[in-house]
Amino acid sequence: MVMPALYVFLGTLFGFVLSRSGAADYNYIQGMFLFEQFQLFGIIGTAVVVAAPGLWLIQRRGRTLRGTAVSVERKPLNRGTIVGSLLFGIGWSIAGMCPGPILVNIGEGKVYAVAALAGALVGAGTFGTLYPRLQVLFGLPSIGMPSTARTPVPASESSRVPDRVYDTAK
Amino acid sequence: MPLILNDLTPLHWAVAGGVIAAVTLCLLFVANRRLGISSALEDICSLVLDQSYFRRDAVFTGRAWRLPFLLGLVLGGYVSAVLGGGWHPIWALGMFDTTIGFGPGGKLAWMFVGGAFIGFGTRLANGCTSGHGIFGMSNFELSSFVATLTFMTGGILTTQLVYRVIFF
Repeated sequence: MVMPALYVFLGTLFGFVLSRSGAADYNYIQGMFLFEQFQLFGIIGTAVVVAAPGLWLIQRRGRTLRGTAVSVERKPLNRGTIVGSLLFGIGWSIAGMCPGPILVNIGEGKVYAVAALAGALVGAGTFGTLYPRLQVLFGLPSIGMPSTARTPVPASESSRVPDRVYDTAK
Repeated sequence: MPLILNDLTPLHWAVAGGVIAAVTLCLLFVANRRLGISSALEDICSLVLDQSYFRRDAVFTGRAWRLPFLLGLVLGGYVSAVLGGGWHPIWALGMFDTTIGFGPGGKLAWMFVGGAFIGFGTRLANGCTSGHGIFGMSNFELSSFVATLTFMTGGILTTQLVYRVIFF
């Protein structure tokens, strides 16, 4: 129960800051895209400048606080990265919120954010459903066979099916 | 410029950015979790959809932390409202109301369409502002620099089109 509570706490802190900083505010998002408001550039820029050395130090240490391994999987660059990002940017402008702020805005009471979430789930669901075709079209990693396990099992169990198989031979 | 939420004065960007970085580092250092919120959209889908894409290991293992985190995001917005003048349903949408001015039905449709672009686009790009913009760029990942530049471009072009060309 400790870990779920930690995640809820961190999410609450994150959400509060997104709410109070303008990251979830329609006007501030348009202001960013119109180059009339520095706020969002400052938020993202500060987050990256502070997080970058921290991530480097944590990965250099290689271990979490409790000593388990730190393993960060780097994201691949493919055609989907570019086309998907364009589509996401369009949606971010239209809705004036990105995924995190959609949820924050629901918490704030913004009724229209529920419609944004519904759309986002339809979009994500459509993507996942069409994945076999999109994978070929956009050079996405292959899935492999789906896992039959419903709860996490030790990695040593051979019934465990590998995650997205990245073709590192490319 | 005051926030739409209760006309509150926003936090300074350096404070917000610092807290976001702190949460990002905490997730990795304490739990080996990579910050990324758009993945939670497919976590939610996996609760009702069973195509093989939604039965990947990454979804099962990721759900365990992302769904509680998501609950936290909603709570964070709620607490923000409660502590900042009170919670009440909000329909106001700032400059959308003054420039575009759709009624409630049109606003919901507009948001649904925006959401569809977000849901499909972030998953196709394998990340959003948090996964690519914050974690990916901080981790010096090329795909994240490309993604961030591209989604910023998409946003800029769309906003300029909407507010400088179509509606003004």
